[in-house]
Amino acid sequence: MAAKPSTTTTAKATYSPIDPTRKTRPPIFSGSDVDWLRPDSRGFHQCRPAFFRTGAVNSASGSAYAEFGNTKVIVSVFGPRESKKAMMYSNIGRLNCNVSYTTFATPIRGQGSDHKDFSSMLHKALEGAIILETFPKTTVDVFALVLESGGSIRFLVKQVDELDTLWFAVGDLPVVISCASVALADAGIMMYDLVASVSVSCLGKNLLIDPVLEEESYQDGSLMIACMPSRYEVTQLTVTGEWSTPHFNEAMQLCLDASAKLGKIMRSCLKEAASDEQE
Amino acid sequence: MGLPNASEDLSSEMEVDAFRRLFPLRYFERHLAESIRPDARSLSRARNTTISMGAVASADGSALAKIGSTTMLAAIKMEVMTPSLESPDEGCVSIDFHMPPICSPLVRPGRPAEAAPVVAKQLSDTISSSGMINLKELSLVGGKAAWMVYLDIYCLDADGALFDAALLSAVAAFSNLQIPTVSLDDGKIVMLPEEQKEENSEKEPVNKEKRKLTLGGIPFSLTCILHKNYILADPTSEEESIMETLVTVVLDSSNQLVSLYKPGGAVLAYTSAVQDCIALTRQRVKELHQILEEAISGMEID
Amino acid sequence: MVGLSEGEQEFIKGGIAQDLRSDGRKRYTYRPIYVETGVIPQANGSARVRMGSTDVIASVKAELGRPSAMQPDKGKVAIFVDCSPTAEPTFEGRGGEELSAELSSALQHCLLGGKSGAGAGIDLSSLVVVEGKVCWDLYIDGLVISSDGNLLDALGAAIKAALSNTGIPSVHVAAEAASDEQPEVDISDEEFLQFDTSGVPVITTLTKVGKHYIVDATLEEESQMSSAVSISINRQGHICGMIKRGGVGLDPSVILDMISVANFVSRQLMDKLDSEIAAADADEDES
Repeated sequence: MAAKPSTTTTAKATYSPIDPTRKTRPPIFSGSDVDWLRPDSRGFHQCRPAFFRTGAVNSASGSAYAEFGNTKVIVSVFGPRESKKAMMYSNIGRLNCNVSYTTFATPIRGQGSDHKDFSSMLHKALEGAIILETFPKTTVDVFALVLESGGSIRFLVKQVDELDTLWFAVGDLPVVISCASVALADAGIMMYDLVASVSVSCLGKNLLIDPVLEEESYQDGSLMIACMPSRYEVTQLTVTGEWSTPHFNEAMQLCLDASAKLGKIMRSCLKEAASDEQE
Repeated sequence: MGLPNASEDLSSEMEVDAFRRLFPLRYFERHLAESIRPDARSLSRARNTTISMGAVASADGSALAKIGSTTMLAAIKMEVMTPSLESPDEGCVSIDFHMPPICSPLVRPGRPAEAAPVVAKQLSDTISSSGMINLKELSLVGGKAAWMVYLDIYCLDADGALFDAALLSAVAAFSNLQIPTVSLDDGKIVMLPEEQKEENSEKEPVNKEKRKLTLGGIPFSLTCILHKNYILADPTSEEESIMETLVTVVLDSSNQLVSLYKPGGAVLAYTSAVQDCIALTRQRVKELHQILEEAISGMEID
Repeated sequence: MVGLSEGEQEFIKGGIAQDLRSDGRKRYTYRPIYVETGVIPQANGSARVRMGSTDVIASVKAELGRPSAMQPDKGKVAIFVDCSPTAEPTFEGRGGEELSAELSSALQHCLLGGKSGAGAGIDLSSLVVVEGKVCWDLYIDGLVISSDGNLLDALGAAIKAALSNTGIPSVHVAAEAASDEQPEVDISDEEFLQFDTSGVPVITTLTKVGKHYIVDATLEEESQMSSAVSISINRQGHICGMIKRGGVGLDPSVILDMISVANFVSRQLMDKLDSEIAAADADEDES
């Protein structure tokens, strides 16, 4: 039997007060035309300001905090440590990923649950970059907590008590991936290269890089790339929506260029941390 | 004699780090005899403590509290509920304490930490019994609508004294709380649109005067370790794992005792030891009060 | 789990490099595909697809529900895949959960398009009965009975076949109810609307072994993969979804090359599938 989409049959006892005069459709999207502004008044091909810092959690082997506009993420790396008892012998190391959200990450208070889909995507984005042979028989755990999800505050629908799908910004995932690779580097796990990740949304004919929740809710398609900038290799790629081949090429190139820039920011953050340590 | 003597003999020739891992208790006791702790604190000193307000933009009130490297993020979200029949003019406060897997190597996904429910219970007991929050202030329309306050506290880094840090972040989040202005529309509470807040239009806000909660006696706490005759204030997780007898004292701002926990442990405390703990807490309350005041006034300048 | 000796591994890799795979196929040749429709009478539509020893069933159930507040003009679709322990002993209990979740999410990526509905194989707006009040909820279930590689492509094909076999009862809405009440609806037992499946894309998974990629990999071949990419392509040759299935990194130019190969291969697969579906439907009508 299919898992029914989470239509909350039990009526919620409490609700968030919502501004009723707010239009359900934000003014950003009016047909195919180019003359609209992004909600945070960025250019179409402009990413949100990115900030990374290592060493956010002392009790972890390595950790990093990342902030892209409103999206705030902490990633801790533990290990390499003993694999779970039930695991079979393996002559290469294991990677275990988990992504969860705080209850206040979304505009409407959520359940703060694990995000299985993101966990598996994070795993796939990282596994191609980590040299698993360097820690045989053991496990490296990568745990991410999304403190705040992207998208501006209180953008929401009219009837919240009927909200049956929790809308996580898919745009959080690239931030989680990039932050995780900085945390892995901080933990001293051997990697071929850092993994930088960027997504684009396609609205009409336009490509919007690093979209926020509002933009994602009206997108016609999306493309997310995780890549190793110095090796120029793609470790993870997901595409939804309809794309012609030339349009896809354009979007991919845009993502790759942005990832290269993001990679530089990540690298300089690590360098800074290392030089601080030496002093 | 077996081990203790062996460690004594070895201590002169072993590297410090190896000695610390092999004979943690000896290692600590040696420090304690010199009235100093491995992190260079004196026995009664708490770690450096900071509070930053408004850390979470999507919440109605939030704060990040750090005691040493123990980090707590507390955020409050306000929702509307129908009050219960027994108390029609009171709101409600729900407190959750989470230890996500990022905070400590001991927590794994899917298996909640053992400490989490204990701290959660202590927190809600303390906050409700301290009388810090007057539930009547949370009423919007008597019998019809009241605020449900969801307070969620996340431990981002667990390094001992979890309850102290959690309580501090909770108190700070409450003092940071800005209650949204709402009005009554067709039996439902709705948010007042930004532009209508200034000019008094057709909809009258129901809670114009009540944007901030008046906090009654604010509770502050200090956890101490009892070991032999020593009292160690504000333990790290390493200290907690080696010496297991903990005493947590909660006092409010006028130094009244709100609660006192001594959940078992190997050391049976003399009343004098408990009194010493209370005295230490009294000092700590002054410190914390000042740190909180500074954090609040720092917020107002911004 | 596939246990292969080093010699066997080399044999598979060497065969692929020389364009002659161990079962005699070329790199871009599929195993024979068999489609059977209407295998589950209780469902609104169902189909069974076999590719070699890979055997999957898809069923479609339609129920009336309420559209979500975010998208009042659209119906809802849920895709869920289950891996039966008959396919592999390790799927017993929670063992198949991870694979099931991966397949479900990959199918959603490949078939449901963007949030606005562009590129969706299933036109969600056609599922609305009364805007904002009543819509059809489609529950698409996939079941893996026997697994010999290439599960995603087989499930994609089975869902396409099941949808073309799906009849959605026509609904009569009673006279306009008050604006905030649910209108009364009457579901017809006789009249069915055929589901339009011309837009449903096919999924092609290219598995990279050594320098080359192959389609329709068997389980043994999948165990030798360095990485794999699943691409869903519709009749117009547009990409409707794509997901990399783990493994090592790929050069962007390789991905572009894979897309052009997938474009070529998927056209053949689509024709083959359409004729198989038509034949299966004809069979079902006769019996």
